[in-house]
Amino acid sequence: MTDSPSFLEVRNLKKHFPPRKIILQNNTAPVRAVDGISFTLKEGETLGLVGESGCGKSTAARTLLRLEIPTSGSVHFKGKNLASLSETELRNQRKEMQMIFQDPFSSINPRRKISDVLREPFVIHGFKENISEAVVKLLDQVGLSSDYVNRYSHEMSGGQLQRVGIARAIALNPTLVVADEPVSALDVSIQAQIINLMMDLREKLGIAFLFISHDMSIVEYFCDRVAVMYLGKIVEIASSEEIYKRPAHPYTEALINAVPGIESGQQKQKLKVRGDIPDPSSPPQGCSFHTRCPLKEKQCEEMEPNLKEVASGHYVACLLKEG
Amino acid sequence: MSQIELDVRNLKVFFSTPQGNFLAVNGINFQLHRGETLALVGESGCGKTVSALSILRLLPEPPAKITSGEIIFAGRNLLSLNAKQMREIRGKEIAMIFQDPMTSLNPVLTVGQQVIETLLRHKSLNKKEALKISAQLLGKVELPSPEEKLKQFPHQLSGGMRQRVMIAMALACEPKILIADEPTTALDVLIQAQILELLENLKNETGMSMLLITHDLGVVTEIAERVMVMYAGEGLETGSTKDLLDSPHHPYTKGLISSRPHLGSTREKGQRLTEISGSVPSPHQRPTGCAFHPRCDWSTEQCKTQKPLLQTPNQNRQFSCHLQPGSI
Ligand SMILES: Nc1ncnc2c1ncn2[C@@H]1O[C@H](COP(=O)(O)OP(=O)(O)OP(=O)(O)O)[C@@H](O)[C@H]1O
Ligand SMILES: Nc1ncnc2c1ncn2[C@@H]1O[C@H](COP(=O)(O)OP(=O)(O)OP(=O)(O)O)[C@@H](O)[C@H]1O
Ligand SMILES: [Mg+2]
Ligand SMILES: [Mg+2]
Repeated sequence: MTDSPSFLEVRNLKKHFPPRKIILQNNTAPVRAVDGISFTLKEGETLGLVGESGCGKSTAARTLLRLEIPTSGSVHFKGKNLASLSETELRNQRKEMQMIFQDPFSSINPRRKISDVLREPFVIHGFKENISEAVVKLLDQVGLSSDYVNRYSHEMSGGQLQRVGIARAIALNPTLVVADEPVSALDVSIQAQIINLMMDLREKLGIAFLFISHDMSIVEYFCDRVAVMYLGKIVEIASSEEIYKRPAHPYTEALINAVPGIESGQQKQKLKVRGDIPDPSSPPQGCSFHTRCPLKEKQCEEMEPNLKEVASGHYVACLLKEG
Repeated sequence: MSQIELDVRNLKVFFSTPQGNFLAVNGINFQLHRGETLALVGESGCGKTVSALSILRLLPEPPAKITSGEIIFAGRNLLSLNAKQMREIRGKEIAMIFQDPMTSLNPVLTVGQQVIETLLRHKSLNKKEALKISAQLLGKVELPSPEEKLKQFPHQLSGGMRQRVMIAMALACEPKILIADEPTTALDVLIQAQILELLENLKNETGMSMLLITHDLGVVTEIAERVMVMYAGEGLETGSTKDLLDSPHHPYTKGLISSRPHLGSTREKGQRLTEISGSVPSPHQRPTGCAFHPRCDWSTEQCKTQKPLLQTPNQNRQFSCHLQPGSI
């Protein structure tokens, strides 16, 4: 870490939800959706956040954008602690921090025309002039013709609508975009279009991305660095080249091995993980992965590992890697 | 080649809905051989599920209507059987795992009640025997503590466990054919890998044939011997998995393969993915000629007006395109 304030700095961020009420079960422990994550992001950099369903990726994203109030921990954006900002200051800051959602059909109001959807960010932030021109320019930037202004969401395909979602996110020239599974609801042939579009915009506008996905191949392709989450914690973080060539955490290795596919054939036998993810309201003692880890040792049941640097910029939380 | 277990010939399925009439499946042909896994791949809405439901005659009629074709199984055309004859085949000879495991399990019945009901429908067993076999079945799909799981309700199980229950129920009567409709799409990669391995093992153990529906070419390479690529209700290309992925003859197949980044392929900074332009056609507006022509880089005048005939460059490969094999 350098001395100058980071672009984005997340420190020991936690978000716990009140206990879930499940029929036939007496649950009193909170759901530790995000349980102490720390990372930094440089200007224009793309960090991938991967992990299985329920590991806390979306909650992490929402909490760091302060759409949820953190249980504890801090988020500094360009040196400013988001918790210390007033409502107005926060709203101003939000211009720079935008989000793209997984399902464009549920994140875009079906009763409003596309032009209204795209006018909204300008109106909310008090812009008055040239909004229509801005909307047409936005559509052009995401590869849609201006004919689309009068359409409604149900008159568009998933891919076209996700372009609208991206246009809405870049409307106010953000410097940080959090994209939560932006292509997983799309058809295979459309995913490449959207990834290409985001790569073009990233290059042209210098946007930093937090890119949430469970698709290891797309993350490797799109991201500079990758953080792997398990039960609310980051268990490994490194450059995407490093993490795919030399995964240090057994969980990361298992995730990479499990990708069904054309190229991954030869390393298939290596690490296989059995069983399901434990309940985040009662995570296992010690290393939270020990219940599924094929390399587990006695100490893993007792001691909790912390992130340690194993190579330059490559951090892993695994007792077996602490020589 | 081994014996043909299921032969689907020129199947057409027509829908008439308030939004309009359309062909969801437009003359597909495929054969499922004994003991093999054949994958149907294609994007959303291309007719995979409708094709599968046609085999079991589970389509809602209306709005659906099978307007042409034959589906030959064990010397009989399934499309000409009556309801009673079909009930005897369904679940017993041909079983299906449905796309959405949550809606296909009954939320108010325990897992045990549902597995037992499936068994009793086709086999004469007493309650006690059925219970014992049910526990064995859950063990076979590698559910931990099967006796306990029998007493639980679907919502108490994880997605992966529910999918295992679905597989156990499908296998209850040792079917000759298992149709698995996107059996792993809703699951995480680690659980997906487990389920695929399980299906593969069960298939090898029982010698059944499997029709696997997916949109993921990765899954296809993992467990299918052969594959049929579907687009807009048609089969565009069929062949052995390796052969077809190594040298696709249809531009759409090639596009699907190359638009995905592959794990470990060293990316050059800023290099874009190969994309297929445009979007999937709605069934109400099927393009003329070749359905893929508006999105095809090789499209010519002929493609706009004339539907390509099926070419058979060799015994194991079929594709439907005006181009010569090897020209893309
Ligand atoms: N508002 C909430 N109230 C209670 N629990 C919640 C809430 N939001 C999320 N959770 C729980 O927190 C955990 C993390 O959820 P989250 O949605 O962040 O996971 P995720 O990694 O984004 O998963 P997915 O890949 O399925 O989107 C889960 O156990 C989830 O059930
Ligand atoms: N009950 C129905 N009523 C009206 N149209 C239907 C019905 N079932 C399917 N269709 C239409 O038939 C076409 C083929 O649907 P099908 O479910 O077979 O697609 P699919 O290939 O399985 O797609 P997915 O990958 O999304 O599951 C689609 O256009 C769909 O909207
Ligand atoms: Mg999420
Ligand atoms: Mg389907």
